[in-house]
Amino acid sequence: MIKLKKVCYLLFLVITFSFSQENLFTSLTLPDHLTKNANAVLRYENLDVTVNAVDDVVITEKRIITVLNESGDYLVQASAGYSKHFKIKKIEAVVYNAQGSEIKKFKKKDFIDHSAVDSFSIYTDSRVLFMGYTPTTYPYTVAFDLEVETSNSAGLPSWRPITSYYIAIEKSSYTLTDNANLGLRFKEKNVDGFKIEKNTTTNTLNYSLSDMKALKPEDLSPSFENFTPHVLVAVDNFQYYGVLGKAKNWLEYGDWVNNALLKGRDEVTDETKQKILELTANISDPIEKAKKIFQFVQNNTRYISVQIGIGGMQPISALEVDQVKYGDCKGLTNYTKALLNIAGVESYYSIVQAGRDIVDFETDFASLAQGNHIILAIPKVDNDLIWVDCTSQVHPFNFIGSFTDNRNVLMVKPNASEVVKTTIYPDSLNAQITKAEIKILNDGSMSSVLKRTTYGTQYDNRFPLERESDKDIKEYYKEHWDYVNSLDVDQYKFNNDKNKVAFEEALNVSARNYAKITGDRLFMPINAFNKNTYVPKRYVSRKLPLEIQRGYLDEDSFVYQIPEGYKIEALPKNVTIKNKYGVYNVAIKFENSKIYYHRKLQINSGKYPKTEYDEYRDFRKQVAKSDNSKIVLKKSS
Amino acid sequence: MKNLYLIAILIAQITFAQDFKFGKVSKEELQEEKYLQDPSANAVVLYKKQSTYFSFNTVESTLITEIHERIKIYNKDGFDYATHFIDLYQSGNSEEDVSGLKAVTYNLVDGQIEKTSLDKKQIFETEVNYNYNEIKFSMPDVKEGCVIEFKYKITSPFIWNIDEFVLQYDIPIKKVEASISTPDGLNFKETIKGFIPFYGKPGQSYNETRVKEYNLVHVPALKEERFVDNIDNYRAGVVFELKSIIIPGVVHKTYSSSWADVAKTIGNTNDYETQLDKSRSFNDELDPILANVALPTDKMKAVFNYVKNHIKWNNMDGKYFYQGIKKALQEGKGNAADVNLTLVAMLRYAGINANPVVLSTKDNIIPIFPTIDRLNYVIAYAEINGKAYFLDATSEFSDINILPIKDYNWKGIYIDNNNMVWKSIDISKPPIAEELNMLSGTLTEDGAFEGKIRSRYTNHNALLFRKRFKNEDIDAFVAKKEEKLDNIEISNYEAKNTETTEGFVMETFDFKHESIASSVGDKLYVNPILFLKQKENPFKLEKREFPIDFGFPFQDKYNITVKLPEGYVAESVPAPLYLKIPDNLGYFKFKVVVNGSMMQLAASLEINRAMIGPDKYLFLKEFFNQIVIKEEEQVVLTKV
Repeated sequence: MIKLKKVCYLLFLVITFSFSQENLFTSLTLPDHLTKNANAVLRYENLDVTVNAVDDVVITEKRIITVLNESGDYLVQASAGYSKHFKIKKIEAVVYNAQGSEIKKFKKKDFIDHSAVDSFSIYTDSRVLFMGYTPTTYPYTVAFDLEVETSNSAGLPSWRPITSYYIAIEKSSYTLTDNANLGLRFKEKNVDGFKIEKNTTTNTLNYSLSDMKALKPEDLSPSFENFTPHVLVAVDNFQYYGVLGKAKNWLEYGDWVNNALLKGRDEVTDETKQKILELTANISDPIEKAKKIFQFVQNNTRYISVQIGIGGMQPISALEVDQVKYGDCKGLTNYTKALLNIAGVESYYSIVQAGRDIVDFETDFASLAQGNHIILAIPKVDNDLIWVDCTSQVHPFNFIGSFTDNRNVLMVKPNASEVVKTTIYPDSLNAQITKAEIKILNDGSMSSVLKRTTYGTQYDNRFPLERESDKDIKEYYKEHWDYVNSLDVDQYKFNNDKNKVAFEEALNVSARNYAKITGDRLFMPINAFNKNTYVPKRYVSRKLPLEIQRGYLDEDSFVYQIPEGYKIEALPKNVTIKNKYGVYNVAIKFENSKIYYHRKLQINSGKYPKTEYDEYRDFRKQVAKSDNSKIVLKKSS
Repeated sequence: MKNLYLIAILIAQITFAQDFKFGKVSKEELQEEKYLQDPSANAVVLYKKQSTYFSFNTVESTLITEIHERIKIYNKDGFDYATHFIDLYQSGNSEEDVSGLKAVTYNLVDGQIEKTSLDKKQIFETEVNYNYNEIKFSMPDVKEGCVIEFKYKITSPFIWNIDEFVLQYDIPIKKVEASISTPDGLNFKETIKGFIPFYGKPGQSYNETRVKEYNLVHVPALKEERFVDNIDNYRAGVVFELKSIIIPGVVHKTYSSSWADVAKTIGNTNDYETQLDKSRSFNDELDPILANVALPTDKMKAVFNYVKNHIKWNNMDGKYFYQGIKKALQEGKGNAADVNLTLVAMLRYAGINANPVVLSTKDNIIPIFPTIDRLNYVIAYAEINGKAYFLDATSEFSDINILPIKDYNWKGIYIDNNNMVWKSIDISKPPIAEELNMLSGTLTEDGAFEGKIRSRYTNHNALLFRKRFKNEDIDAFVAKKEEKLDNIEISNYEAKNTETTEGFVMETFDFKHESIASSVGDKLYVNPILFLKQKENPFKLEKREFPIDFGFPFQDKYNITVKLPEGYVAESVPAPLYLKIPDNLGYFKFKVVVNGSMMQLAASLEINRAMIGPDKYLFLKEFFNQIVIKEEEQVVLTKV
């Protein structure tokens, strides 16, 4: 019965396809609204996923894409990855010119075979086949056919029709059929507002999107994934790289990770075990123990990416890390967890989608496709959690920075796995406090003693400086303060307080030509060391909402001593602005031949409708203008 | 006194008498905390030994390279050097092979040396593509202060290709010993490259071989700088190239020893002698477009454009054909030789005296001594009425005598088989690229400013403009411009002549600025160069090791006219300035005049050499410093 249904279905597909196909090879018939802002137009796409058994999935993909210009070449994506568990049955491509006549045909043997190794992994066993085609004229059209057989029923291809900016879509469809009754689940995201048709049953999904104009990127917009349609899919009973599993929610999925991937991989050598016990012998507080062990891991291991074992999901064993003293995120986290266990400290292996863009785990939809990094959670008495990233040899304990902060992650806890949120760094605690005494001489030169401390995410950006070479440190400041012409760093001293997570820079800097002399006047920039002239780009008609993912706070106190024989001719105005986007205050006063400049800039994180973009831009313009202003000094006669 | 001195030397020698045998890592090496000559080094190569030699037997001839490296890792930032890659070439059924890989990490634990060997399981081999395999390994048990050591042997069937001896890394090398042993009769030419002086000396040889050794100590780390053409030009190394095979009574064959030889050797290859030089007819392709063209220069232009439009460059270099003329035309694409040798052949068909010029592009290092292997590219040369024209049809926006910047690297090798002229020639220097900005606007009492700009770009400035303009959508292009020009608001933007390659690009737009001048009391302060000023000095470092490459000489000109608000007069105006860089390398002129209600600025900046030596660095740095200072100066206006 099932078989018959499938055949009918396929037949139907073939008919509709051949019906429209002829027209799609020529690019002369493309409507204007689809070529506008587009580098390529996806004419037709059908991604079909058929689950025949827990270890038998067939994926077929048919796509016809017209590339309009050079920037669209990369959107062709006529390629496929393969490995032992992922077999390419058919891969073909035909290239057509604008008139729709065939100009080149690629059979499987014509595709280029390449290792899928990335720039940071030492090894991966996946490979990729791709079409090596140099287009000679534009537009051209590629019809691509792919059939893949895999024994993985976890990590099934989901539906994400809009893959990128600058691509328009005539029609893109997706079908998933679960012939094995494995317990199909799905979740729709951002489907409203798009021309989407759907038809779903217990065992099948059908989606299609048509007549979609190309999107253009805009600064300060939400990440692409957060406003384009996506249908996540998973089956409850699955197999992954030969390992069976069952999970319909995060609790069960966490148990699978624990039992299938982690169990029995926490042994270490007796020698290391002994060392850990000695190291923590006189400590009773579990957090202090954890801190000690984290330092031990930081001092004794390093990060090397090796992608083998259950599709790159299984960590190398703690014993192996113990021997080679390296591992990737999985291996090092699992190792740290094993060491903590020896000292009697509980901790949880946690899966996260890492990166500067904050991407959450779906609380109500468990699937293997989420996450790209592993961190470790250590519970505190008050139910709170401490987060550590075991791949870093330099970050302080309990500080994860902007790589994994403020997002939902899966915490794997035997029989109690759940989605939890990582540390949030509030805007006002991502701070930079600067104090400087600045002396101006009558030749316009300046010398200054400066102290600056950064906290939170600003600490994360700054503290790597202490490990740079003398040459690079000096170069850093020259670039950092590029608006101070001919700046020299005469002395610098850093203090990295890992307990407080505070990084202090103490500097002596000078500049030969800080104030500019014209006639008997000196023009002197009012903001020597924290000029922020960033103004977001202007959009004639803004299309996407405004999103500021991370906020921060800067406070500056500068005291300028002006040269003798000069008096103030003009002082910039004080400024006080407070709105939902942030705060900007500048107070300037002149007393006893000294100018006191106090500045506070706080930018709030937040999400706003597109209509508010110009308002935010105006705010930044006011900040830029004030930060750019000058003091005018005149020789007193 | 003398004795004391001697003892001092002896002591010095004893302390430095290290044992470089594999496995003989000393406690001193493990205890070392930093490299005295360069304390900023995160890691240092303590010792590198490379021996390259030939092995002949009845089955096969191979080229063998033995490598032994000992590396000290001082801190965590040096951990990257604990991962090692070996690239192995393969071609058809022949492939390079690694054997005898041995690697050990040494740590000092409680005063004892602890050794950890690399396990076979930790060596990963990947077939990257049909052309090469890669072996990667990362050392076990790497900690701050450790020493790692590895050795291996590469056996290569490609005996004519001796890889460059790389003698300088981005970390310092304390001691390097490299040697090459070649059998009598097989003569290789060595070319020494880089910025540190060294030379090879004959080593002990036996069994009818000749040995050359290169021994260097304390080779500094090679660090990137801005505006460098190609850092590998300055990296210490030795390049080898087959010069001749002379076995008395059997064979006597010589290869390049002068540029003329190089030209002749390339000229005698099948690609040039047979493929390029055979007479061809392009009547189908060219007759229609040449029919109505009389002047030879116009014919050249027509052919140049034909090749550009009909053969697309596939981004591959090459002095030899990848496809051949026929196939390149058929498929409409090809490598540099396919494109430009077809151009030569077509120019000849059009009756123009044309020949190929083979060269090495900037990304490929400068060939200082005659070499065939190091040349990677070919362009076309035409001569009409005694005038020389260089043409490269690979780039969409290049023009006759306006070549892609990568082509301007050292010299070219001229190959004229028909007239038996083979020689090295100078490639015409890039002409000066102009950017002329004409701005006129009106300033209001509250500091707001609006007006028009008309800019003209020529030569390479036009080329770069056209490329950028084409690759970006117009809205993004304008938005970027607004951002760059102090957030002015642009309207009526227009760029003319961007699709062709001839003539200049003309750009016009209207602009508004909310507050270009600051108004305090009855005074108005305004920067006369407005938002067009040079914001920062591109040269910030105290010193410079390598030449500065601007790509091409350039001249930027500014003619600015500002109508001042009613009732304001100038109280103070920046003094005029005329600055020159020694040796006539460039100048900067700046002059502001206020005449009634009009403020006028004429400024120009010229650098008239594409490449400037590091000895002029300080002049250049100060030159730009003075420009930045001058352009910061303000005009003070007072209300009367």
